[in-house]
Amino acid sequence: MPAEQPLTVLVAEDGATDRLLLAQIVRRQGHHVYTAENGEQAVALFAEKRPQLVLLDALMPVMDGFEAARRIKALAGEALVPIIFLTSLNEEEALVRCLEAGGDDFMAKPYSAVILAAKIRAMDRLRRLQATVLEQRDLITRHHHHLLTEQRVAKAVFDKVAHSGCITAPNIRYLQSPYALFNGDLLLAAFTPAGNMHVLLGDFTGHGLPAAVGAMPLAEVFYGMTAKGYGLAQMLREMNAKLKRILPVDMFCCAQLLSLSVQRGTVEIWNGGMPDGYRLSADGEVLSSLPSRHLPLGILPPERFDDSTEVLPLAAGERLLLLSDGVVDTADEQECLFGVERLRAVLAANREPVHLFDEVMQALERFGGRPRDDISLCDIRMFTAEERVPAPTIYSDSGRSSPLDWSLGFALNGESLKRFNPVPYLVQLLQEIHGLRPRTGALHSVLSELYSNALEHGVLGLDSRLKRDVHGFADYYQERGRRLAALVEGFVRIDLKVEPLAAGGRLIIEVRDSGAGFDVQQVLSRPSREDGLSGRGLNLVQRLGSSAGWREGGRCAWVQFDW
Amino acid sequence: MAVETDFSQDGKKLTIKVKGRFDFGKHQEFRDAYERQAAKPDSVVVDLKDTTYLDSSALGMLLLLRDHAGGDDSDVRVVHASSDVRKILAISNFEKLFDIS
Amino acid sequence: MTDMHIDHKVLSDLQEVMEDGYLQLLETFLEDSERRLSQLHGARNADELGMAAHSFKGSSSNMGAVGLAQLCHQLEERVKERPLYGIEDLINRIDQEYLEVQRFYRGERERVSAG
Repeated sequence: MPAEQPLTVLVAEDGATDRLLLAQIVRRQGHHVYTAENGEQAVALFAEKRPQLVLLDALMPVMDGFEAARRIKALAGEALVPIIFLTSLNEEEALVRCLEAGGDDFMAKPYSAVILAAKIRAMDRLRRLQATVLEQRDLITRHHHHLLTEQRVAKAVFDKVAHSGCITAPNIRYLQSPYALFNGDLLLAAFTPAGNMHVLLGDFTGHGLPAAVGAMPLAEVFYGMTAKGYGLAQMLREMNAKLKRILPVDMFCCAQLLSLSVQRGTVEIWNGGMPDGYRLSADGEVLSSLPSRHLPLGILPPERFDDSTEVLPLAAGERLLLLSDGVVDTADEQECLFGVERLRAVLAANREPVHLFDEVMQALERFGGRPRDDISLCDIRMFTAEERVPAPTIYSDSGRSSPLDWSLGFALNGESLKRFNPVPYLVQLLQEIHGLRPRTGALHSVLSELYSNALEHGVLGLDSRLKRDVHGFADYYQERGRRLAALVEGFVRIDLKVEPLAAGGRLIIEVRDSGAGFDVQQVLSRPSREDGLSGRGLNLVQRLGSSAGWREGGRCAWVQFDW
Repeated sequence: MAVETDFSQDGKKLTIKVKGRFDFGKHQEFRDAYERQAAKPDSVVVDLKDTTYLDSSALGMLLLLRDHAGGDDSDVRVVHASSDVRKILAISNFEKLFDIS
Repeated sequence: MTDMHIDHKVLSDLQEVMEDGYLQLLETFLEDSERRLSQLHGARNADELGMAAHSFKGSSSNMGAVGLAQLCHQLEERVKERPLYGIEDLINRIDQEYLEVQRFYRGERERVSAG
């Protein structure tokens, strides 16, 4: 019966009769046969012709079958060349020798064509299986190599996007796994032109390139908008809309976004899907937690997205601890979770803030029985004014034209006041004036301050004295949210006037609101409480501008910048 | 079977049960459970009584289901979740999208 | 005679397998087996004798010379024991058996060459 697939077979047998007979049997089965008389010939013939199967007599002159088998196996390398020993030896010891020499099977004399055919077929199946395994292994290795290269490129691109941050600022301590990017963990930080610090801790669903790919547009939005001085609400809307548009339905990004303002002594927070963060006193006592109140980014369409943030006081020296997934849900052998209680215990026992991360990681390792390499931790201390690093501002023009004689009035009425903050747009406009560019930071601060005063104290009628302590703080911002949501009428108007001077120019900013005004003299006569939580910030404004003041019974604030 | 489906008598309510770990390994089975049905049900119930664990890919799968069932017009309920599973759903505020009990 | 010396089933299988090469096989065997017999006689020690008997056994059995194969097998076993008794006798019997076998295969050769 002809074989399924013709092979090249080497027959090494010293008896002429047997050799002739065996070669004929194999040939008749459809295979191509080479013959050798002794072990040495067999090895030489193998090296030259590379047959796929070898039939080897155990006892041969010059070089016996065992030695020949060893050498042939060595020549074959990784590939499987089945060796069938031809032997009438039936002592177990002899058969063991055959196996040890590399034999895969035995064939006894007298030769049976039927049995030989069956053995050849079986050995050939094995040979082909091995060949497939090696082929697939090589394919997988090439593929893996390819993936590693892709990841390296992705990381390089990502690092370029992310490098403009201030994650190395002195008030931030962080721990990030080397696999962070490919776990979808993101940690970004940057200063706004006004000197506020924005921080984003994010966690994309999934792993590997898909998670990394989502991180890039998010980082671009974060850095771009922070550099232009946008507030959290606008950034969140933009980030959510972008992710919703580009990510598939089942991908999203859990995120915690913060804005720290040393001017106001506050931290503004939005947490969608991240584990609780903690607000700590200077000694590490837990003051409050920062829970997730929103759906993660990239799930809701823009019209249903909730950009409302919480504002909490954060005095100098106080800290925020942010954690990624994996801390609280680290499990031990019995599948018990590490949990919030144990974490709080570690926080309470901590004496040196600089050791906090080590203590957390050690506690996790002790509990879970193994170290974790996929966690991000971030410890942010409220910074001092000296530690601020203003963001490098992005100018879009070539630097040639500089309009010096113009004015602009911009009024926001009623409903528009609820969601739109005009300050970043106006500052961008002012950047057209080259002489003002060194003061971009100050412009941001001043405009932001005056605008929020006009909105909160003027239009909404909130009393800043409410913010004198922590409880008052929460009440103030809750009330702010309530009044803003209920707002129907009212306006804030910003007028900008730029005129040239002999050797430079002058910018006059006027901010008017529809509120009741206030007794300017009375407020000015109060002692300045720069470290307090309240105030109309007038002293700040006076410090930053050439001059400043109030008009129209407190309903109009003006600031002048000369250069 | 780790994912079981069951139709109500009138064919209007589809119940999908997930047993064991609800994670990425269940992806295809879960999708088949609602995609391979001849008729489109009016409401879908995801029964997590025997679900021991839920991760972010499971959240993604729930979003896919919701999208398939009509997005904002869908009626998808998540029932019998254990307290551990509820915690995970709570952190992500998924009760804003799904009726969870 | 042929029943004890030659297994005819094996022989007819050989013919079928070898086809046109049957004649060549017969020639090869006749030449090869003479050589093996002298090898047997020329063995200088027990090991050489055992190996020669082993080889002869193999080719004999392949050719269907079952009696010869059986005797070689006995010889192979016997030389493993010490002291070596009855070796001469066994070798003589092999010689005798071989004569019969040789005669038979020569006859086969004639038959095939003619027909």
